[in-house]
Amino acid sequence: MDEEAYQKLKVLFSDVSLSQKEEEHFRSLWSIKKYNQYDLITEAGSTERYFYVVLTGVQAIYVLNEKGEKVVLGFSYSGSPSGAFDSFMLQKPSDTFLEALKPSEMLAINLQDYLSLFQKYPDFYIWGNNFFQTILFGRLSREVELLTLSAEQRYKAFMQRCPDELKVIPQKYLASYLNMKPETFSRLRSSVMY
Amino acid sequence: MASLIVSPENQIQRLNAVLAEVEQLQKLDLQTLSTPPGPKSWSIVEVLEHLNVAYGLYRQKLDQLLKDAPEIQKDSNTFKVRTWQKMIINIQRPKGGVRKWKMKTLKRFEPLLNRQGLDEKTVAGIFISFFDAHLHLKDCILQSRGKDVSQQQVTSAIGPLVKFYPPEAFEFLLSHLERHMAQIDEILQKKEVSA
Repeated sequence: MDEEAYQKLKVLFSDVSLSQKEEEHFRSLWSIKKYNQYDLITEAGSTERYFYVVLTGVQAIYVLNEKGEKVVLGFSYSGSPSGAFDSFMLQKPSDTFLEALKPSEMLAINLQDYLSLFQKYPDFYIWGNNFFQTILFGRLSREVELLTLSAEQRYKAFMQRCPDELKVIPQKYLASYLNMKPETFSRLRSSVMY
Repeated sequence: MASLIVSPENQIQRLNAVLAEVEQLQKLDLQTLSTPPGPKSWSIVEVLEHLNVAYGLYRQKLDQLLKDAPEIQKDSNTFKVRTWQKMIINIQRPKGGVRKWKMKTLKRFEPLLNRQGLDEKTVAGIFISFFDAHLHLKDCILQSRGKDVSQQQVTSAIGPLVKFYPPEAFEFLLSHLERHMAQIDEILQKKEVSA
């Protein structure tokens, strides 16, 4: 892993302070994985092997509905965590797919090494607390948006907060994430300012 | 009649579920795996061997077809199965975990195992072949996501009257696989009842 990649990794773990030796060990646990556009990083029905931190690219996490259509639950992008976390932690088959929507480079750590960080370095519990709090609050906020806002309001709220790299992925993924038809998304994109 | 739209993602999810189920079967003892529920029925390993034989008739054809198919960037991977092919697929597909129609297996698809001579090594070999074949199927489905699969057809193992585009062939093979997983469930249930 080069220095630039390591600096990106450290941003996600900024709550953790490690000595130089500990930092070397922490760094050694991660490997770089590369994916082409539209590669399936994780397949539903298989068990997630890694917890990821995204270096480059955009990924979508989705389930298939009864009709076999993709229902997008979320995205990951540069600097964010990624993976089918429930499958990773419980080591059970995933219900979700993780797909690279753009060519992607990701740092990956396996479960054994991930858990060893908590055992060896108590600071990771602080990180874990903050990390899961952020995830939970994000999911709650999304649930409120989905249940209370109109399609136009959801579109505006999302476009105002989402990073630019997410705005260039195929519209059908964004539409699905916002629980609207691609045609509605397209209409809002051409008519609504945000 | 409702149309049948298939997607590689849906097929991969279902195939993974079958692979996980067969991994669990590997833990059963030799007697459970090799004892048929009746003299005219198949045992679990015979079912798996039948699936190996059936897939073997498609393997090379799929390899060739995907090798020849031009690469393509697709926004959507869904494929609408044609009427005749849908009918053939639906005959295979179990409904609610139950096989709708039982049918006589053609001679060339029968598992030719010596029931008396089945030992752990032979059974282990059948499992290895199963995973080899069906991981190959998964690889074909994954490859098809980046290919134009609407150009060439594969002649089915049933005969030249039935031809499949790759997504239809995958769906047929998966439905056939699911049909026989339902049969394995029936074998296991019968064993539980008789125990």
